[in-house]
Amino acid sequence: MQSSVRWEHQRRRPFDLAAIRRWSEKLARSTDKHELTPRLTWGKLKNNKTVMKPSGYAHRPANLDAIFAALADPTRRSILARLAAGEASVNEIAAPFEMSQPAVSKHLRVLERAGLIERDVDKQRRPARLKAQPMAAAVNWLDEFKQFWSSSFDELDGLLDDLKKSEAKEAVE
Amino acid sequence: MSDLPTYVLERVFDAPRELVWKTWTDPELLPRWYGPRVETIIHRLELKPGGLWLVEMKWGDNSNYQRVEYTEVTPPERLVWLHSSSDAKWNVIPSPMMADWPQMLLTTVTFEDDAGRTRVRLTWVPHEASEAEIACFAAAMGGMDKGWGAGMTLLTELLAKLQT
Repeated sequence: MQSSVRWEHQRRRPFDLAAIRRWSEKLARSTDKHELTPRLTWGKLKNNKTVMKPSGYAHRPANLDAIFAALADPTRRSILARLAAGEASVNEIAAPFEMSQPAVSKHLRVLERAGLIERDVDKQRRPARLKAQPMAAAVNWLDEFKQFWSSSFDELDGLLDDLKKSEAKEAVE
Repeated sequence: MSDLPTYVLERVFDAPRELVWKTWTDPELLPRWYGPRVETIIHRLELKPGGLWLVEMKWGDNSNYQRVEYTEVTPPERLVWLHSSSDAKWNVIPSPMMADWPQMLLTTVTFEDDAGRTRVRLTWVPHEASEAEIACFAAAMGGMDKGWGAGMTLLTELLAKLQT
């Protein structure tokens, strides 16, 4: 399936930020939110105003490169380890580090873009929490890729045995 | 070229080389082992340079399509092809599961006679890939350098922690 959000660049059309925000909040509450990402298209409101609005969901493939780039930094790894214990606000995350809150926020954005964490949009303190599913999906898929060939080779082993047996049988007959 | 991440898989099969070659190139035999636990349907198999091998793997209502273009066919010792994910119309598409997976992997299979047995060596190298695709492949296949390996270990640990 093709990914992912399709942006149509057109000028002089305002974003309906409120609608997008409402919708992303709805998305944040939905159960399978980890798998899906908003698809936005241009639409018309009642007063004939043209706005961008959500038109559906698309599967978001894991971006392994971004995940590993995010994991390459020791501070971000510590943040993830902290979040593995439970959700936390920027201040709570910043506390053990000798680091300003904006610096921590920057790290959080990198983690968020990689799909490793998510943050509530509708709360003042915007707690961050780990998102397990994209990671699990990526790791599982890689396992499957490697498994594909080793399992296929097991099958081939069996097939070759069968073929050798039937050849030997033909030779006898 | 040599610094591209390469994934190698090797297996010795207890069968003569001609027979092993046949299992890789015969449209009747290929689906009997390629793609375990799925129904493998071969839509086309043209065993010649520039020829296509179009394969569909079905499980339940799902289908996964792979488009393979042979670039070298040397019986019974060497097969080289470009491997990609495709849509149902056999157009090359990005991996449905991984945004940065290389769209094309150069796949080389060699068949080596080893005292009546056959050593099969399979290698993958990203083909005409972007930096991101190369990095993704390196990360995915692991062991390319210690940084990626550590990342993978951390991921696995985090996942284990979250599942308990």
